[in-house]
Amino acid sequence: MSDTLVQILEGNTFVVSDAKGDIEASSTDPTGLFSFDTRFLSRWVLTVNGQRLTALSTDDLQYFQARFFLVPGSGTVYVDSKLSVIRQREVADGFHEQLRVLNHENDPVDLDIRIEAASDFADLFEVKDALKKKGQYRNEVTGGSLVLRYQRETYVRETWISSSDKASADEKGLTFHVTVPPHGEWATDLDVVVAMGSPQRPADKPVSVHGQRRVHRDMTRGLQKWLQRAPTVDCDWEPLEHIYRRCMTDLAALRFSALTMPDHALPAAGLPWFMTIFGRDSIFTSLQALPFTSELAETTLRALAERQGTRIDDFRDEDPGRILHEMRYGEMTAFEERPHSPYYGNADATMLWLVLLDEYERWTGDNKLVRDLEHAARAALAWIDEYADRQGNGYVSYQRRNAKTGLENQCWKDSWDSISYRNGDLPGFPRATCELQGYAYDAKMRAARLARQIWKDPAFADQLEKEAADLKRRFNRDFWIKDGEYFAVALDADGRQVDSLTSNIGHLLWSGIVDSSKARAVVRHLMSPQMFSGWGVRTLAEGEARYNPIGYHVGTVWPFDNSFIAWGLRRYGYKAEAAAIVAGILEAAEVFDGRLPEAFGGYARALTRYPVQYPTACSPQAWSTGAPLLLLRAGLGLEPNGDHLIVDPALPKRIGNLELLDLPGRWKRIDAFGRGRIDTDRMVRR
Amino acid sequence: MADTCSDHNLAVSNVKNRSAATADPISDYFASLTEPGHIATFEREAATLQFDVADGPTPDSGPSEHWHVTINDGDVSVTRQVLPADAIVHGARADVERIVTGRLNAQAALLRGLLRTEGSMAALMMFQRALPGPPGSTGTVEPLTSEAVMAQRRPK
Repeated sequence: MSDTLVQILEGNTFVVSDAKGDIEASSTDPTGLFSFDTRFLSRWVLTVNGQRLTALSTDDLQYFQARFFLVPGSGTVYVDSKLSVIRQREVADGFHEQLRVLNHENDPVDLDIRIEAASDFADLFEVKDALKKKGQYRNEVTGGSLVLRYQRETYVRETWISSSDKASADEKGLTFHVTVPPHGEWATDLDVVVAMGSPQRPADKPVSVHGQRRVHRDMTRGLQKWLQRAPTVDCDWEPLEHIYRRCMTDLAALRFSALTMPDHALPAAGLPWFMTIFGRDSIFTSLQALPFTSELAETTLRALAERQGTRIDDFRDEDPGRILHEMRYGEMTAFEERPHSPYYGNADATMLWLVLLDEYERWTGDNKLVRDLEHAARAALAWIDEYADRQGNGYVSYQRRNAKTGLENQCWKDSWDSISYRNGDLPGFPRATCELQGYAYDAKMRAARLARQIWKDPAFADQLEKEAADLKRRFNRDFWIKDGEYFAVALDADGRQVDSLTSNIGHLLWSGIVDSSKARAVVRHLMSPQMFSGWGVRTLAEGEARYNPIGYHVGTVWPFDNSFIAWGLRRYGYKAEAAAIVAGILEAAEVFDGRLPEAFGGYARALTRYPVQYPTACSPQAWSTGAPLLLLRAGLGLEPNGDHLIVDPALPKRIGNLELLDLPGRWKRIDAFGRGRIDTDRMVRR
Repeated sequence: MADTCSDHNLAVSNVKNRSAATADPISDYFASLTEPGHIATFEREAATLQFDVADGPTPDSGPSEHWHVTINDGDVSVTRQVLPADAIVHGARADVERIVTGRLNAQAALLRGLLRTEGSMAALMMFQRALPGPPGSTGTVEPLTSEAVMAQRRPK
């Protein structure tokens, strides 16, 4: 298998192949055609007269389309072929592949062109954990189509393969016996459809998992329309325009439609393995993108409310009012071997959903959505008080009830060692991490505004504000580490402070829970050499026992994290510090050719000169894609105020002039201008 | 699968021998929907759903009984008639019984092919919010000490 993998996708359907367009997956190899968290093709190999092909070039034309230029033969440095083969592939409800064979000779050629196909129908979880299948396979030829079929009890999945040109199909593939005229061409269209089979009835045509067949030709137009609708960025610092375009294109690729709302898009978490609804990731990305598009936020709010928890379910960590964590559609979820139908184990998405609801209304003025979702909002608020306070001390905390397949850390830093004491010890459960208290405070303050202005319930508004004020007072007392002058990352099961210094304190600024008298000390920590690498704020401060510059949540720099910290710095008036983060992360984006990774190394900028990418499987990641958008907002100081948009720029000098044109919102369209005046070079320590 | 089916049939015949009030979880469930008459999670929502419960082992093996649910801004009414609906759910009695008593998750059942549905996915998604959770779920869990967490992480 070639080292270069080519991936194209649409919604939750994606194809990962080698540079030739072939798929040869092993049980743990992440190549194949995937849809609804299931691999529908694990083998898809093209041969001409029994010979494999060699790739001359591969083009990702669009995120859903790729083209492969091939010649027969393999393994030589010198290619002298009389044939060319072009495969052009587009993802739809499965994929569509046009296969063209060009004869460059003066004589006709007889060819056996064969596509070998097979599927292991692996669940994504099985690919990840290398688990064994429990059902049976059967391949059959039905009316010229090859149908690959998997059945376990009543669970049936099928892959239908057919072609426009007549093929002789057998259980392992399709063969075309063709004669290509001199300097002529032969072409066929291959159609691969992923289907839900029925255990009872023999199928005569595929029943698409997607309900209806989708037309791939519309997709190019859809992408163009999306880009045309987006605001325009003009900037003296040229990389910014490139970064912005990259973000908007990647955001388009990350759009995902829930089955209940096929015509609306929300952001999935990441490509390709996280193309599903994630409460936290979809909300954060929608928040980041709000100044540029409100469509993602609207769909996210509705889709998450539709699936809001209503009952106690320990396996799924579900409670009434809780917003879901992750939704999956694969075999292990179907047989309740995994809890993702959906799984609710997060402690933050419910509060963040409320924050998004208010922020969405502030930008769009869409009162109707806020009224439609009043019940869901009240249920979410009730969850904070009735179900999220697992220690009974007035703070939001988490502990999984599904100890086997549930999530241990239910905050955004969800790896096992992300929450620790300074000495490296891990706290017990439940854990009340600090940013959760900030989100709870912000959620109540924002909900109070909605209650007063839109739900017309001033008594409820008063009550929420009173609760929020009380939470803020207690929080500033109980989480504040006096001698260190920062907030503990958490309170442990005994109410003791978990005392490591983390980037979570930046989220506290964003939420507004920090007493103004304590803000300066918090900012000093965030911008200190222990925390600020020159590119951004580290997840865990240098000097803590578990600090590791390439540890997932214990020392790396996360662009998404930093974008919210920058927003928080603006909220407390620290313009120059916000500008330093804007500069650091955008300059990192320039190095990564416009596409920020999920995380990069926490090494000091002066040491490595370039940001060191953290190896992760997913790219682009939704909230990294959204980070530059939120940084633009923070840099320009964009803040909706009634029917107006306040613009209060504080930009790094390098940016020069920046114009954001046609920002959508309750003001219809508005332009924002800024000029870089802040010398961030000293702060970013290049 | 054949084994499971015959179990289902056994269960069904046992249920039928018992008294009506406790033996029919499906009737009990639909009655419980109309008892309060108003369900908060359905406020500002409107949908109609038809449930066709088959006595045989598969969603489509007849004869079946019908339940029709109308939801209008939180108000719920149920009839035994066959009426037009935004969404139709077909399921075998034993599976539907497990769903309305919280012993089988509806979304999992749908993915597994135990339910066959037609029409609006949005109506189905809304309706599943009124299904009960698993009978054994308590919502509580014993706290874990720092020592216990550290012990789990120590190399064995």
